[in-house]
Amino acid sequence: MRPQPRMVEVRQRVLKQNDLLARNLRERFRRAGTYVVSIVSSPGSGKTTFLERLLATLRGQSRVAALVGDLATENDALRLQRSGAPVKQITTGSVCHLDASMVSNALEGWDVSKLDILFIENVGNLVCPSSYNLGEDLRVVLLSVTEGEDKPLKYPTIFNTADVAVITKMDLATAVEFDRDAAHRNIQSVRPGMRVFEVSAKTGLGMRQWTEFLLSVH
Amino acid sequence: MNPQLQTMHELSVAMNIVEIAEEETERHHAVRVRAIHLRLGPLSGVSKEALLFSYPFACEGTSLEGSRLAIHEESAGEALEIIGLEVE
Repeated sequence: MRPQPRMVEVRQRVLKQNDLLARNLRERFRRAGTYVVSIVSSPGSGKTTFLERLLATLRGQSRVAALVGDLATENDALRLQRSGAPVKQITTGSVCHLDASMVSNALEGWDVSKLDILFIENVGNLVCPSSYNLGEDLRVVLLSVTEGEDKPLKYPTIFNTADVAVITKMDLATAVEFDRDAAHRNIQSVRPGMRVFEVSAKTGLGMRQWTEFLLSVH
Repeated sequence: MNPQLQTMHELSVAMNIVEIAEEETERHHAVRVRAIHLRLGPLSGVSKEALLFSYPFACEGTSLEGSRLAIHEESAGEALEIIGLEVE
């Protein structure tokens, strides 16, 4: 005889496992006194160049390190290592985001208490990373002037889960007829009150304000 | 956005769902899962279509093979929660 079908109540959040791991990571970072900044953006909006500049600038005054996520290749880590800061690559294979367990595994062998600021560069993607908490203190979303002012409207979730926005490649703003007001308006419409910085990692424009902000919050 | 990447994301979510369902099935001494009921909010970052597409792949080789994923869409919020299982 076939057993009778019945309903079993579960009520469990699907990403609960990641949230638990992220909470443990956060606790670990807090105890170690390490401030953790994650960077999200679409591919090609300048995460690595931005981070390259940031590591080089901060290295003199803070103990900084970075984890960088990509589907394949160690190219970004190799680029960032030139700054002299400790850098580790996380290759996710086919996974389109970093999760808390990948961060935790990548930290193996590192004494986080020896770090003031840890940067985590997520996989270039404006969709998937929004669902995964990494135990970070600050989530920064980058938006480059070349990718269109309506990105925040198209990907509201990632802008909603981020704490600050940074508009990158400002040195190209005129060439690509970047509509600055529209970009700011769109960011504010999906995330009212969001703090926005404008930088060019290439020329250094705006990097001082951004660095000062970072050092003031950590 | 590469649609294949989007699907990859839902595939890992689907695998997560299957994993939870397997644990619950065992905990409730059930033999088979007929259906999983899931609550899904518009801000969850998960697409219903991609999740339904990925679900059979996530079930492959598990005790959930052949089960149904019933998605209950909400009008607001970021819910991504398993409400319950239909088991036998």
